[in-house]
Amino acid sequence: MKQAIELIINGEPHDLIVTPNVTLQEAIREHIGLKGTKAGCEMGTCGACTVLLGDKPILSCITLAVECTGLEITTIEGLSDGPTLSNMQNAFVRTGAVQCGFCTPGVILSGTALLKKNPQPNVSEIKKALEGNLCRCTGYNSIIEAVLDASDPSGLLDPQQDQEKKL
Amino acid sequence: MNALKLVGKSVLRKDGPDKTTGKAKYTVDVDLPGMLVCGIKRSPHPHAKILSIDTSKAEKLPGVKAVITGIDTQGIKHGFVETPRYPPDQSILAYDVVRHVGEEVAAVAAINHEVLAQALKMIDIEYEILPAVFDVEEAMSPDCPVHIHPNHPRVKDNYCNIAGKTKTQWGDIDAGFKEADLIRSDRFESHLRTHGYMEPQTAVADYSGDGTLHMWISSMGHFGKRKKLAKALGMPDATIRIHKAYVGGAFGGKIDLFSHEYCVAALSIKTGRPVKYVASREEIFIAYRHGQPLISEIKTGVKKDGTIVAQQLRMINNAGAYKGSGVVVIFLAWGFTMIPYRVENFKYEGYSIFTNNPTRAPLRGHGAPQVRFAIESHMDIIAEKLQLDPIEFRLKNARVPGEELPNKDNVHNCGLIDCIKQAAFKTDYTNRRDLRPDTEKLSDSNPMKHGIGLGVSAYFGGSLIYPNGSSAIVKMVDDGSVDLLTGAIELGQGSETVLCQIVGEELQLEMDDIRIISSDTATTPPDIGAWISGMTYVTGNAVREAAAGVRKKILRVAADKLNEKIENLKLANKSVWVTDNPEKHITYRDIFEASVTKNKGDTIIAEGHWRTMRDEPFHPSLASTKGRWTENYAFSVQVAEIAVDTETGEIKLLKATTVHDCGFPVNPQLVQGQIDGQISLAVGHAFMEDVMMKKGYTLNPSWLDYRMPLIHNVADSKGVDVITESYQVGHSFRTKEVGEGLVSAILAAIANAIYDATGLRLYSTPFSPEKVLKGLKQLKKNRGLL
Repeated sequence: MKQAIELIINGEPHDLIVTPNVTLQEAIREHIGLKGTKAGCEMGTCGACTVLLGDKPILSCITLAVECTGLEITTIEGLSDGPTLSNMQNAFVRTGAVQCGFCTPGVILSGTALLKKNPQPNVSEIKKALEGNLCRCTGYNSIIEAVLDASDPSGLLDPQQDQEKKL
Repeated sequence: MNALKLVGKSVLRKDGPDKTTGKAKYTVDVDLPGMLVCGIKRSPHPHAKILSIDTSKAEKLPGVKAVITGIDTQGIKHGFVETPRYPPDQSILAYDVVRHVGEEVAAVAAINHEVLAQALKMIDIEYEILPAVFDVEEAMSPDCPVHIHPNHPRVKDNYCNIAGKTKTQWGDIDAGFKEADLIRSDRFESHLRTHGYMEPQTAVADYSGDGTLHMWISSMGHFGKRKKLAKALGMPDATIRIHKAYVGGAFGGKIDLFSHEYCVAALSIKTGRPVKYVASREEIFIAYRHGQPLISEIKTGVKKDGTIVAQQLRMINNAGAYKGSGVVVIFLAWGFTMIPYRVENFKYEGYSIFTNNPTRAPLRGHGAPQVRFAIESHMDIIAEKLQLDPIEFRLKNARVPGEELPNKDNVHNCGLIDCIKQAAFKTDYTNRRDLRPDTEKLSDSNPMKHGIGLGVSAYFGGSLIYPNGSSAIVKMVDDGSVDLLTGAIELGQGSETVLCQIVGEELQLEMDDIRIISSDTATTPPDIGAWISGMTYVTGNAVREAAAGVRKKILRVAADKLNEKIENLKLANKSVWVTDNPEKHITYRDIFEASVTKNKGDTIIAEGHWRTMRDEPFHPSLASTKGRWTENYAFSVQVAEIAVDTETGEIKLLKATTVHDCGFPVNPQLVQGQIDGQISLAVGHAFMEDVMMKKGYTLNPSWLDYRMPLIHNVADSKGVDVITESYQVGHSFRTKEVGEGLVSAILAAIANAIYDATGLRLYSTPFSPEKVLKGLKQLKKNRGLL
């Protein structure tokens, strides 16, 4: 039986009618058409399909779309502010943490979620947060560097939160 | 030396913003109106005769738009190699016999995945199971009852199931061995690994009304791909247009023509609708091509002073059910053997053998990791036997600048000796080796053992494989910026960034002033592709020539307008300046306009071409190795520092030092990225990855069971450049490769470090905990410690 659901993707509501077996990844890529979320394995093993549900990174290929109705979801397209890249996105470009780029959206979202929870993580906290994301190109060295770079206190990850800290 | 503006700098990737924002478009992202989905019915048997195929039920299923089988593709043959000696042997869809699990038998186009899955189930195929063989030595044994293909037309030998043979020798091998003070024989085995590209195998075809077949393919070189597709489809090359899409990793696994690429094309032609195929990860593990397992038997004769006087090798490759790249890897294995060290008397035999396993493909390094693991382990064994310092032993036999190789290639400014010396110095290798006897190492109470090991490797850069050269076009735009048109494909290596750096250097432009239009067979010139480690060298020089052509035109117009001699002019900030008069200049924008007015409408366009081995007609013989191979050899020495947990058998690569001669790095950050990625691949090769097969079936067809390195497996990786070449504006340059060769020496270094830490010598990969524990137990037993 098809169901009517509402997904709030990057702050924008999308009304969809889907069968209950449609995954969140399919809903985002095929129904809504946002292709930044990648499908590397479709069995929850590679992390390329990572999106944020609220502030939490989840694997959209093993999450059903119907479970997410009414929930706030952030995809890679929701991180930049128009043409301005987020701190994390910039850090990935700067440190050369991008090669083929297929894992990159998922890795950046995992990293973004980490910094929301823990603005200045150490290397072992970064490894823990990114352990679900496979990258075949970089060997992960530059990815760790990128997350460290993005968490630099001089960078402004969330201006509002930073403001609060200063107060 | 002139100061460089962009070349040699860690310029940020051109594709960085698109790839970090989700804008970068890959083949899997191509979505066309009315698009159908394609699925493939595959053989469940490793070897069987097809008695009948009944597609009638599937065809009647509502939503199924077309079905094709071997009847539709009968007579079409293709192969990784297509030469008179090695004629193409693969069918698009099996017609009479299937020879491996997962072989393609039928293809369906349907309106959605649900209908597709149902339709694939409704295709009835009746098989008669045939006996099969999987082990390579069983398959080659003269009395093997299973004959996978009829006897090879061109290779006469006593062995069975021969796919290919490479044979070469020089000097006098018997006399060489007679001279030797020590003769040592070893046998090494490497196992089956896979590429692990993140973007699945995928293709989209859209046959348009004007007879053009538009395609998007996750590929490693569109021009080679188009050539093979055109031949298989029986269409003129020009009617197939492969469009640009980013490639989500390949590592050697996306070179060949794949059945699914033909099938989407044929199904799009048949239905008049766009058709898309995306392989599931399970299909990739079960049916697609993995790397090349090799058995290396080496016998070396050495004099007391460390001079290698004779070497004899026999390599055996398990090719799988069709030739694939097996007939190439036995040629390459010879090459990776002979490059680094001088051996006056040499004999080589390589066999590629058919088995009922899936066909094999190149995997980053294409034989080099397997070969260097064997040889560098063997070198350390010999050094110890002769009580020679491993560094001195290697230096004694290492190639020197200007040396001619047995195939008449020249190593030019070879930096190997420098690499060896620097690697030893930077890691304090000699002092850090543990020279205690293994009994002492093993009876030490600390279960964690640390070790250091070293390996040497070398790799070719570019060779003559279709289309044998690259062309490029640079054209000026009205505003004084430029467009670069190149067939080069961006699959993560950074080709687009590097090529723009070269244009920017020649024309003194900023990166933002250069737009790159790439890898579209209709709008960009042909390119060698990203699979023979020659893109920066071959395509880079083509791009440089094109940019230099534009520079010449700019200068000519400027000289005329400024009434100055060309020698007195220089380029800077999108203008041409008079050297001794800083006031006098003309902008590129004005030059563009002046050129159109004065030079009969010339809008300042130039082309460039480059071909490696300009005087050689062909690639060297795969059978005899005769003929020149490349003019571009890269050298590397890698040092591994490891920790072995003797209680669990687990080994961790703590630090990898890569000292390499890549000529000069065009972009140091991209070079380091290549090094890090290859170290990671070697960690997987050494400790984690293993495609486990039983009777032709893959037992671990997912990333849960086939473990690739995670972020926890990251190794500290340090790259050190040995600079042997330079870039000068207006001159050709010789960069050497960094994309493949650096996965090799580190594997050998790890093996040698295990020996240094524990006294355990491993003769096969992977260095799994089970193998380490078993080996240590045996070693302790042998030493009377248990």
